[in-house]
Amino acid sequence: MLFSYLLVSGITTGALYALIALGIVIVNKASGVINFAHGELLMVAGFVAWTLHVGLQLPYGVALLGTVAIGFAVGVLTDRIAFRPLANADLVSLVLATVGLSFILKGTARLIWGGKADYLSFPPLTQAEPILLGPLMIIPQQLVVTAGALAVMIAFAAFFRLTTAGKMMQATADNAKAAKLVGIRTDRVYMMAFAVGSLIAAAAAVLMAPLTLLYPDMGFLLFVKGFAAAVVGGLTSLPGAVLGGILVGVVESLAGGYIHSSAMEVAPFLVIMAVLIVRPTGLLDFAKVRRV
Amino acid sequence: MPVFSRRNVLLVLLAGALILPWMGNPYTLFVGTLLFIYVLLAVGLNLLVGYAGQLAFANAAMFGIGAYTTGLLQVRLELPFFAAFPCGAVVATLVGLVISLPALRLSGLYLALTTLAFAQATQWVFLHWENVTFGAGGFKTPLISFAPLPVETPTGLYFLSLLLAVLLTLFAWNVAASRIGRAFVAIRDGEVAAESLGIDLLRYKALAFAMSGFYAGVAGGLYSALLNFVAPEGFDLFQMVLHKAMIVVGGLGSVTGSLLGAGILVFLLEALRAFKGTQEIAFGALLLVFVIFLRGGLVSVLKRNARGWEEPLRLPERRARLLARPGTASVPGE
Amino acid sequence: MSLLVVDNVTLRFGGVAALDGVATEIGRGEIRGIIGPNGSGKTTLLNAICGIHRPDAGEIRLDGEKLTGLKPSEIARRGLGRTFQTSQLFRGMTVLENMICGLHRRTTTGLLAAGLRLRSARAEEAETVERARAALDFVGMGAFADRPASALSFGQQRVVEIARTLIGEPKIVLLDEPAVGLSLNRVAEFDALLRRIRDEKGVTLVLVEHVIRLVMEISDRITVLNSGRKIAEGKPVEVRNNPEVIEAYLGKELRARRAAS
Repeated sequence: MLFSYLLVSGITTGALYALIALGIVIVNKASGVINFAHGELLMVAGFVAWTLHVGLQLPYGVALLGTVAIGFAVGVLTDRIAFRPLANADLVSLVLATVGLSFILKGTARLIWGGKADYLSFPPLTQAEPILLGPLMIIPQQLVVTAGALAVMIAFAAFFRLTTAGKMMQATADNAKAAKLVGIRTDRVYMMAFAVGSLIAAAAAVLMAPLTLLYPDMGFLLFVKGFAAAVVGGLTSLPGAVLGGILVGVVESLAGGYIHSSAMEVAPFLVIMAVLIVRPTGLLDFAKVRRV
Repeated sequence: MPVFSRRNVLLVLLAGALILPWMGNPYTLFVGTLLFIYVLLAVGLNLLVGYAGQLAFANAAMFGIGAYTTGLLQVRLELPFFAAFPCGAVVATLVGLVISLPALRLSGLYLALTTLAFAQATQWVFLHWENVTFGAGGFKTPLISFAPLPVETPTGLYFLSLLLAVLLTLFAWNVAASRIGRAFVAIRDGEVAAESLGIDLLRYKALAFAMSGFYAGVAGGLYSALLNFVAPEGFDLFQMVLHKAMIVVGGLGSVTGSLLGAGILVFLLEALRAFKGTQEIAFGALLLVFVIFLRGGLVSVLKRNARGWEEPLRLPERRARLLARPGTASVPGE
Repeated sequence: MSLLVVDNVTLRFGGVAALDGVATEIGRGEIRGIIGPNGSGKTTLLNAICGIHRPDAGEIRLDGEKLTGLKPSEIARRGLGRTFQTSQLFRGMTVLENMICGLHRRTTTGLLAAGLRLRSARAEEAETVERARAALDFVGMGAFADRPASALSFGQQRVVEIARTLIGEPKIVLLDEPAVGLSLNRVAEFDALLRRIRDEKGVTLVLVEHVIRLVMEISDRITVLNSGRKIAEGKPVEVRNNPEVIEAYLGKELRARRAAS
């Protein structure tokens, strides 16, 4: 009973981590950068959704669409502010720029939405009773969230496979030089990557909001978890990011249930360290930075 | 020597620092001590990030490890401060050495994220190993005493911090201008070329990590004594960004830049103390703006526009020897 | 006895043999050219010798001492210098500081001596600066000592890089396409410089080069690689007339022409 409960809730949070990881991977695939402000994009989106849904009393669906649109715009801004001016800069500069951006977002959220200990809560999506399926206990809210995450993933896959913009992103990720030669405007593609990554983060935030509390410091933890998922999946693989997200969610949930609730927080860090230290050669995408 | 050379300016500032305890109030004394602590942090971090080019995010954690070790040894084992303090520095140094092991196999983003994960794991230990660390609430450290010296604690701590900041800054300057500093920069600018000249990556990366650990550990010990209190939130992401902003604003790869950056950021930190959100925006924006518009930091402006601020990666030569050398004739390849 | 022995070295990248049983011996004071079509394994051979790649089979010995399995820095300390296809000067340093880095393995100052600026550290530092200036003068770059390395022209960077390698007094230097990107009269100057290095410093040189004219003029012997295998070795004249070499170069060109048309 405990195991199945932990498993199901692990899959639910895992699906959300998968969305975060997807955003990280898509930016990395296109531009070779890890956006350290990705968690803060998510956090800001959560607050925006709260303002739309709780503050302005808009229906959940409208809040979702509004937030996603704003997420898209913030992603474009991220590209303009913290990436494009540094297109030819070294990695240290790029990383520090996104770190700087993350703090600007965090500080702004703190000024607008409250102090350090202020937590905002989001009303639940549904009040329905838990469903018992044999040994499985499923909470309807989790079901809705997981389904929402799945829908976002499917829409995302379709975008990549079917639209021109998606195909151009794929081509640029595979070979930026060649993409440039065939006339793809790679700077547009980078912008799209940041925008789409941020949009997915916004969608994840709106789905996650009813399950959690909102506070300005939430972004970094979510970023690390999403990043752990992305690392497990190999950092450039979209299906890998989804599997990695679910794995991190389940491991975290089981660690929380069987070891100690506080173990939940540390599990993703240990996953990152272990994967990177044990198998860095398997994840060699960036290692070329090192060799001439 | 120009009047506004680095040496003259810093000597004047040092003279000001020496008389401050008799001029200022307890608050200026506190801020002064805090400044020296951040100078130590910024100098140590700059050796690792600015000189050796290792993008590590564990500095705040090593700062915390220094503070916790110093504090806990006093509280749990009842060691006197002057025994616990060196232990804190040693432990932080050792932790720095351990972190350098993954740095050999990882570079760039992977190193950044592994060290970031390490920093968060350290936070977690501070928070949850309650039997030892007292958990989220932190703990009070004993008031340190400078007896038999006839100074009060804040003044004593001020001078101790000043002394250590001056000595360790001089040490860092000397190291930067030696074959060790050049080996750091060589690794930053090209690992493969550095190796081809016989520079051992393992050794010098480990040394850079250990040195930054040591500086952060010393700073941590002083910080625990200054606040009389140690808690996890003193060593979180905010600290991480603060240290990074210091070396970026002052100038990566410049010990002098670390001093400038620490000065400016401590001033801002105090000016905005009441508004955490504003602090975050200010430091984040400083980081972003300097990375984009002034890569060399403030010190690069001084180096361009004022004489006597150069920071060569070697000891200054005797001028006579320089003048005695005749110019050379043929120049191929131009 | 030969200075550098490459003994049946094989190196595979994911099943593809980049080097396939390459064997050669380079004598003391020799200038050896290594040529071959693109992708024939020239740079890979240099990388295997200097420790960047570890051979899957075979052994490399310098002065009778086994190099295989050592780290690049350890190999460098045993007297093997190396320059690269792209300029590898340290951009954050001046020309002089770059030169002093070439003396790294000849100096011993430790952390404490450096940090406390002990007399021994100062003495060693003064001596290295002296030697670095002299070495810059030797290649005619003395006037540029205090310029930032990044301010040099392409050809100057090349020269300084070679000087930086030489200053550590290696027994042998591997040069990877040193003349690439140089104009023709610069190549002639370069030719003279390399000869002076060999004649005056007694350094053995191994030269991977595309500028065939330079290689033919300067090399005592030439080794020709094709698809990771040694297909010829000998004096420039012998190699020039070797049918297999002609086929390796011309065959490739013909195929390229056919593909283009």
